[in-house]
Amino acid sequence: MKCKRCRRAEAAVDLPSHHAAFCPDCFFLFFRRQVTEGIRKLRLLVPEDRVLVCVSGGKDSLVLWDVLMDEGYETEGLYIDLGIDGYSDRSKEKVLAYAASRGKAPIIVELAKEGIPIPEAARCVKMQECSICGTVKRYFFNRVAAEGKFTVVATGHNLDDETARLLGNLLHWQRDHLSRQHPLLPGGDGGLVRKVKPLWRVSEVETAAYGFLKGIDYVTEECPMSEDATSLVYKEALSRIEDRMPGTRIVFYKGFLDPSNPLRKGPETAASADAAPMPEDDPEVDAKRVSEVDTEEVRGTPGACASCGAPTYAETCSYCRMKERVRKARSQRKARGSR
Amino acid sequence: MYNATMITVRLPQKQKKLEIPGPRRVMDLLAEAGMRPTTVIVTQGKKLLTKDHRVEDGATIDVISVVSGG
Repeated sequence: MKCKRCRRAEAAVDLPSHHAAFCPDCFFLFFRRQVTEGIRKLRLLVPEDRVLVCVSGGKDSLVLWDVLMDEGYETEGLYIDLGIDGYSDRSKEKVLAYAASRGKAPIIVELAKEGIPIPEAARCVKMQECSICGTVKRYFFNRVAAEGKFTVVATGHNLDDETARLLGNLLHWQRDHLSRQHPLLPGGDGGLVRKVKPLWRVSEVETAAYGFLKGIDYVTEECPMSEDATSLVYKEALSRIEDRMPGTRIVFYKGFLDPSNPLRKGPETAASADAAPMPEDDPEVDAKRVSEVDTEEVRGTPGACASCGAPTYAETCSYCRMKERVRKARSQRKARGSR
Repeated sequence: MYNATMITVRLPQKQKKLEIPGPRRVMDLLAEAGMRPTTVIVTQGKKLLTKDHRVEDGATIDVISVVSGG
């Protein structure tokens, strides 16, 4: 199969959803254009931005960092060591190696040193690991960005991630979550830093292909904590549909993002949801931020957490509450052990 | 071990290896291995293969899952 763009070189990537196949050089152009168009259409970034890129060692975040650097953005990487035996060490190695290859050194937060490694925290508070992980990561993304005077936080969520989340929210009619799902969460007063997902237009296959062809050595093993993640069920369903009807995923997501979509109204106008939140959702902060995207209405600024000073709409932020639960459970276990 | 009369299909994340008689197109090898095209990339050494690429006997290919969860 020949490249559909240059019509000379052999194709390396076939993309039925775009009715296209590209040689490596033309695919790089195509991919970067998809990302830059995604940034431009939703005004995710401006050239003056100082971007904190959250990197896990996986393909999406490292590819995102690579593209943003190539596009000339001022970036730094943030790696959060989750404290997962073996897996965290291997993913950190990938991040360090990639960063070094680009003359960078990532900012590293070690959750074990912070007193909240994910596996132990999950045992202590009897919550799903992914749910705890989401809360902890969001907390440090914002904290590191605010302390480091970054103007924006960028994560590697791609089209597959976003459509899986959308499907989950639709199946459970989580109208408040639907209203706050968007590749752009504006920042604001009170210490909230803008959050963006510049890979929202590209699929996991496209990101993996880009990483492979660019020689980016990413961790291919899955997080051992995410084996039972519900997002995988939705991804499976969507990939079956995509196999039979290429292009469905991007149509699904673009249709959802259409400003005229009634599901994109703010949470105050939507019915409340009873089902448990998706791991990625933050019940306190993100709801306020995304609703501002849609309505451009100022809903007041968050206050400061009584314990750590982070922005929150409660007295104490969800991270500090969780950390306190872990601390209590740990001391109870110690007390039981010493009896 | 090198097998000149078969295609070796490695699934590194599952730590599995299949021997399938060739020649076959990548999409047929994926069907045989029970993998869907929208969830993997297929590589041969430093080359990325399209789904209609014909793989000859004796070749070794890697099928890498791209699905991330959590």
